[in-house]
Amino acid sequence: MTGTLEQRSAPAEGRTSLLGTSAARKEDDRLLRGDGRFTDDIEPAHALEMAVGRSPYPHARILGIDLGLAAELEGVRHILVGADVRSATRPLTVLRPVPGAPALPYYALAGDVVRYEGEPVVSVVATSRAVAEDALELIEIDYEPIPHVSDAMAALEPGAPQVHPGLVERNLMVSNPEGTGDPEARVAAADVVVEGRFRINRVTGLPMETRGIVAEWRPGARELTVHSSTQVPHLVRKQLAEVLSLPESDIRAVASDVGGGFGLKLGIYPEDVLACLHAMALRRPVKWVEDRMEHFRATTHAREATHDYRIAARSDGQIVAITDTYATDLGGWNSSFGSAQLSSVVFTGPYKVDDGYVERRVVLTNKTPIGAYRGYGQPEVNFACERLIDRLARRLGIDPLELRAKNMLRPEDLPWRNPAGAVYDSGDYELCLRMAAEAIDYDAHRAAPRVPRADGRLVGIGLSSFVERTGYASSRFLARRGSQFGAHESVTLRANRSGGIDVYTGVSTMGQSSETAFAQVVGEVFGIAYDAVKVHAGDTGASPLNTGAFASRTMIAAAGALTAASEALQAKTLRLAAWILECGAEDVEVAGTVVRRRDDPAVSVPLADVFTAAILGQGIPPEEEPGLEATAHFEPTDAAYSFGTAAALVSVDPDTGEFDVERFVLVHDCGTAVNPMVVEGQVRGALVQGLGAALGEELRYDADTGQLVNGTMMDYFAPAAPDVPPIELLHTEVPSPVTPFGIRGVGEVGTIPPAAAIANALCDALVDFGVELDTLPLTPEVVWQAMRGR
Amino acid sequence: MTDDVDVTVTVNGETVTARVPPRLHAADFLRHRVGLTGTHVGCEQGVCGMCTVLVDGDAVKSCLLFAAQLDGCTVRTVESLATGDRLHPLQQAFKDAHALQCGFCTPGFLMTVTALTDRGERLSEPEIREEIAGVLCRCTGYDPIVKAIARHLDATAADDAARAAR
Ligand code: FES
Ligand code: FES
Repeated sequence: MTGTLEQRSAPAEGRTSLLGTSAARKEDDRLLRGDGRFTDDIEPAHALEMAVGRSPYPHARILGIDLGLAAELEGVRHILVGADVRSATRPLTVLRPVPGAPALPYYALAGDVVRYEGEPVVSVVATSRAVAEDALELIEIDYEPIPHVSDAMAALEPGAPQVHPGLVERNLMVSNPEGTGDPEARVAAADVVVEGRFRINRVTGLPMETRGIVAEWRPGARELTVHSSTQVPHLVRKQLAEVLSLPESDIRAVASDVGGGFGLKLGIYPEDVLACLHAMALRRPVKWVEDRMEHFRATTHAREATHDYRIAARSDGQIVAITDTYATDLGGWNSSFGSAQLSSVVFTGPYKVDDGYVERRVVLTNKTPIGAYRGYGQPEVNFACERLIDRLARRLGIDPLELRAKNMLRPEDLPWRNPAGAVYDSGDYELCLRMAAEAIDYDAHRAAPRVPRADGRLVGIGLSSFVERTGYASSRFLARRGSQFGAHESVTLRANRSGGIDVYTGVSTMGQSSETAFAQVVGEVFGIAYDAVKVHAGDTGASPLNTGAFASRTMIAAAGALTAASEALQAKTLRLAAWILECGAEDVEVAGTVVRRRDDPAVSVPLADVFTAAILGQGIPPEEEPGLEATAHFEPTDAAYSFGTAAALVSVDPDTGEFDVERFVLVHDCGTAVNPMVVEGQVRGALVQGLGAALGEELRYDADTGQLVNGTMMDYFAPAAPDVPPIELLHTEVPSPVTPFGIRGVGEVGTIPPAAAIANALCDALVDFGVELDTLPLTPEVVWQAMRGR
Repeated sequence: MTDDVDVTVTVNGETVTARVPPRLHAADFLRHRVGLTGTHVGCEQGVCGMCTVLVDGDAVKSCLLFAAQLDGCTVRTVESLATGDRLHPLQQAFKDAHALQCGFCTPGFLMTVTALTDRGERLSEPEIREEIAGVLCRCTGYDPIVKAIARHLDATAADDAARAAR
């Protein structure tokens, strides 16, 4: 089925009224009333506050630290320097290692050398944040700056400053090649070869809530409780156990409400370790809430990459080979997830090509570490691929739409393994392409004479088609990559005496509406009223061990676990209810708040009675055990591949390069939509992040000083309401055959196509100027310079 | 400390007196001294708008004010909007339009729009976008927020008109 999600009225065939409807969100009321519980809202009695002193240099030797009078300042309780951390902890562990790369000994505070501006060097705990910051002012740190490198391509050159000498040669952590066939032979024999170097900007996800932690230690109880703004409480617990050498049973990690994550809040950071160390030394709760200036330097950045992309084709437009050699900038240390890994996975996009080669190089520089961010490499490679498809079309004199259609995989080609080994499950890629073209009036634009509009502006249309990996293809796949987490999700369902079901999950709530979607699945499968399901999220002390909220994987994996647990709980509920109603379990069904006879719905027993009987163990069949609770784990067998096409219409002032995105259409397929309202919200939100990264956002480093020049909210231009172009969303709904309910992930797709679609539209509008845009972000200045051939 | 200052401020209808350090900003005062954690902090620089509250009826960024400057003022925060368990129509409009995801920005928008609603005007979509340009949202992409506000302003203006006609 196709169209806008809003247009679809009745639930799709075979569904009851819950799954596939826009159920009101469980999360909304508390958030609307200012009653959310974000990390800084947690204020244990006697809490102290931490402030962190950071390196102002990108690369320097620390010759000495003079605490001066800091320790004597009234209110100061505890100070840590690098040596303290080295004796008390192990280096930070990573969750998604760079395959084949050495582990870097990243401690929570720098040792002899700092490797990026913002790296923690000293930390102070005091009665208030203000006093802790006063103390930092009193601490003298003697730095000896050493040569730095802030550009990844320069870092690979002979003679470049070495970020981790002795551990990593020539700043190249590793290179990971993959591919099939013989692309070089195909390139040599091809009618036409197009190639280009594409530079993708360094950006940041910029959640509105910064990171934060509250750590409490009760030595007698051996209990370290950590409230943290994280997407993965169970993985935080695991990493803290590793770094602090504590058994996991001594640690409880809790994430209640998280004010946006987008990949930045995956795993631990140095400050998490520091807050725990202070709390353990002081036996007092210690709170640290990142301020925005810190956030720009201390929370992972993303995307920065240089792609050397190449397409070989026959003169009729048939693509015969694709190669992509690219470098990702990791920064000064590895982070929990490291630099993007998915550019390789989908490097050939939606196109059918058997001969392909992709090589990912991970490069060290003296900049803030890079980590995961919505898209995780897929927006980057899409920009390179789709820009070059348009260039190929122009070179061959083929319409870019038709060139795409000609090379796209057809529904009957799927499932299909691409040259990187990714198995695309199902879909109709061309349908999305044609729908996008129709929505934006592609044919009329092509047919119109290429002259400036009445207002003097030149108009162009650009397309970008993509395939997106969502979820993970099993833990066996992850094991091959050394990942320190599973592919599964786990939930516990517990009936309560009020007739409700409590759902316990380690997936924290960060805006993705998992509480809502989880309750919908339980309601759907169990048959209980949506209102009677309550989701308790993000507490490792209450939820079964799980993986967490990232990689667009939550719903895919959790839906399976929720289904299995709901079925188990329902089966027992029906047996107990049948005993009460004196009939067979097959004669009864759950309906909202009761269990009733199928043949006579008037005969029923309230769920509250059935649940109470189970909890008391009274009034249940003799062969049944008391209690009503189910835990289930589910691991999908494969990743599901979303897909779609974006179309952008831009108008450009040919004198100044100033441009407007007048329309932006995205046709997208996320398989079965559990909650169409939420799906729209996820897609739209990610799109605006993608538009921000395409059109304005960029973290800039000064080449001479190696310092971040625009690391404040004032200078980093995340889109505000007036900056967002009109967006039209259309969907197809091809259920994935490899996931529960046919779900595909939906959280990241919007980040992928904006840059390429808009760049292609600009190049289309400016075709007479011979403009080819290969650098992000796309600003009027960049366009103007390209028009002048600079 | 000796240089602390006394403030008396009406917050959501209640009088609060406190002795505060001069450098304590109003957002931290409301959050950590008055206990109204619905007002959020995202930048302490006047850019993100998470900390927006009403001071004497105007929407202001409370991170840019010192607590001491609130002396004698009337402050309204997001906690004042709902009546009992009933959401304010503006909150309901946000809920209906899926105008929040993580919800961290939501109080800032709600208070900005509360001041806007008091002006009693209907605004076009581009006008609404300009009015809320001082509050950032990283989750929703703004469209649902703009829709919720438009519906709320229309409904409020229609109510006012009906009342005037009676
Ligand atoms: S915290 Fe006040 S504007 Fe950002
Ligand atoms: S809903 Fe998350 S920032 Fe607006």
